[in-house]
Amino acid sequence: MISTKSLSRRGFLNMGVAAGAGYLLPKTGLISPAHAATPLAPVAEEDAHIAFGHTGPTSDEGWTWAHDQGMKAVEAAFPKLRTSYVESIPYSADATRIFRQFVADDANMVFATSNYGDFLYDVANRAPDVAFYECDGRSPLENLGTFYLSHWYPSYVAGIAAGAMSPSGKLGYVASFPVPSVYSGTNAFLMGARSVNPEATLQAIVINSWFDPQAATQAGTALIDNGCDVLFGIMDEAGYLQVAEERGAKAVMWNTDLRRYGPNAYISSIIVDFKDFYVEQVRRRLAGEWTPTQDLLPFGNGVDVDAWGESVPAEVAAKADAVKASILDGSFNPFVGELKDTKGNVKVAKGATMSEQELYHWNWSIEGVSGLDS
Amino acid sequence: MTSMRLQRMPLAPPRVAFALRVLSVVLAILTAALVLWGSGHNPLALGAKVISSTFGSSFGLEDLSLLFSPLIYCGLSVAVALRIGAWNIGAEGQFNFGALCATGVALFVSGPVWVILPLMGVAGMIGGALWILVPTLARAYADVSELITTLLMNFVAMLLVYWLATGPWLDPSGMALATTSRLPVSVPAFWGIVHWGLPIAILIAIALSLFVTYTRWGYEVRIAGANPGAARYAGMPVRTQLIGIMLLSGALAGLGGMMEVAGTVGRLQGGISNNYGYIGIMVAVLARAAPIGVLATAFFMAVLLNGGIVLQSQGLTTHTVLAVTGLILLYAAIGDEAAHYKILRTKAKDG
Repeated sequence: MISTKSLSRRGFLNMGVAAGAGYLLPKTGLISPAHAATPLAPVAEEDAHIAFGHTGPTSDEGWTWAHDQGMKAVEAAFPKLRTSYVESIPYSADATRIFRQFVADDANMVFATSNYGDFLYDVANRAPDVAFYECDGRSPLENLGTFYLSHWYPSYVAGIAAGAMSPSGKLGYVASFPVPSVYSGTNAFLMGARSVNPEATLQAIVINSWFDPQAATQAGTALIDNGCDVLFGIMDEAGYLQVAEERGAKAVMWNTDLRRYGPNAYISSIIVDFKDFYVEQVRRRLAGEWTPTQDLLPFGNGVDVDAWGESVPAEVAAKADAVKASILDGSFNPFVGELKDTKGNVKVAKGATMSEQELYHWNWSIEGVSGLDS
Repeated sequence: MTSMRLQRMPLAPPRVAFALRVLSVVLAILTAALVLWGSGHNPLALGAKVISSTFGSSFGLEDLSLLFSPLIYCGLSVAVALRIGAWNIGAEGQFNFGALCATGVALFVSGPVWVILPLMGVAGMIGGALWILVPTLARAYADVSELITTLLMNFVAMLLVYWLATGPWLDPSGMALATTSRLPVSVPAFWGIVHWGLPIAILIAIALSLFVTYTRWGYEVRIAGANPGAARYAGMPVRTQLIGIMLLSGALAGLGGMMEVAGTVGRLQGGISNNYGYIGIMVAVLARAAPIGVLATAFFMAVLLNGGIVLQSQGLTTHTVLAVTGLILLYAAIGDEAAHYKILRTKAKDG
């Protein structure tokens, strides 16, 4: 598990210290100028209501489950406060209704565990006394913060193993939507693979959902039919891992350790952990220190690669682990130009390093990725 | 000796139908309460919470109104087609495509609001009508079941919206994901966040109700639906009526889509239709295809859906909420069917 002691210099826990004076995420490029906003008034623990809105079911054993663990950590840290949650919130006006309902139920703090855009923004805009957080959010407000994960680093590390374990060099990706988290995930994964196999390519299939086990399974099958032998994706559940297991392919997953669904196919997973973040933000809210932050949980403290699967050869694991260590100690950054897009245009000049901001907003595919750019 | 048997009547007596409708809703709520009680919830407290959250605050009433509005458009869309015996299962697709066409106008035509908004309305209606055009012609000239064709068109419309919103029409600012830019114009609100889409929907329902009841057109549509052969023999233009009414049906759903995108959501994105088109089928069937009835059943569905959201925030899962709404509709459907039967007592021939 991730220990708060092993905080990298991108550690988010610094923020508590800086409450009210802006927030710092050194080297992430996400530092916003300090808001003039005064912190929201403190709330007594026994009067507090913290609400969570999820995109999928908490039983998904993946993304929503991980956020639910975060809520349980908040309950354990602050046993007297009240929590509530709604799962499977659609990306429609229903989302607005649910967030408004939280506000009507006197929530002091609302976490949206997916990007609900205007459906959340409009509610936050009308409820200035409530603290809002949006996962993968893009439009902050005085009372609306955003948080996400530097998942491109573990994706790069997993890509190294994937590239080494793919005889064909054809990687498959089950994508939700053509959004930055998918662009950065596919690009980082392919860049990792290309570090061991320069000829590797990646084909993506978009299924227009984060949680649709049936569509994810179909997409996985289609990718393997097309010759891909290692699958990656950004699904909240284990659907395409089971396809890979049946078809003798390999897979890299997201969110949690899912190896029991495909012990032979499992390479690793992009493991997420929101517990410390949620507890810290609720603490700040209760203490009257809360102003919105724009956080990226760093590699090694909120997002990580899982222990390698049993079919990963020792030398492959060692190679990937060495790269991981060099990213963590700051001696290596994989996201350095020259990078070209699918049409061959140079998008990142030779030697230029992409900032965390650019990685977070990445909205184009690198050469070798197909299926995302329309 | 007397025995009893059931006889089905072609028309349900309105009073019986109404009584059974009320009874079925009460029974469904009781059943749901039992299930909730059995699973450890307090049904009375939950019920009180639903009612107070929905009707007890302007917050709840505004949310209710925003749900009510698209359900009227989609309910009317399905209802008018039903009057001529056509099943428009495609209101969902027409809603999406109407929203898409209206968005196209908003994003790419510039002009004063009072020109752009009506233009968007017209674009939404034309879009909706276009989306049902092929199923309409196939039904009118080749007798292809519109049930299947309209349904299949839904998926195409949904994917078109996803494609445009995440591709060519994607918000270039990077501040919003998988959606178009915010539309530069919006349907003005008249109360809180409730926009003029609602009163317009109600006016359309009233106007349609008058037309189908008091005009020759409404009469011909009704006859053409009840017995196309007889209508044709009587010299009524059955095919023209069918085409006209199906296009009207599509246009109504398309206008609903325009109101949703320009009044409620503000951006075109996948999932904008929120299943309103499918729920519209229930709305129309429960209203027996009567435009005024649609107002009542759409309101009822809006209360149910809004109640579902309140229940979810009280710790019930979406599955429980779906089961409760499904239960109410099932009971209502049973009640409706039961209203068609009367009990006959007959003397047995011998004992």
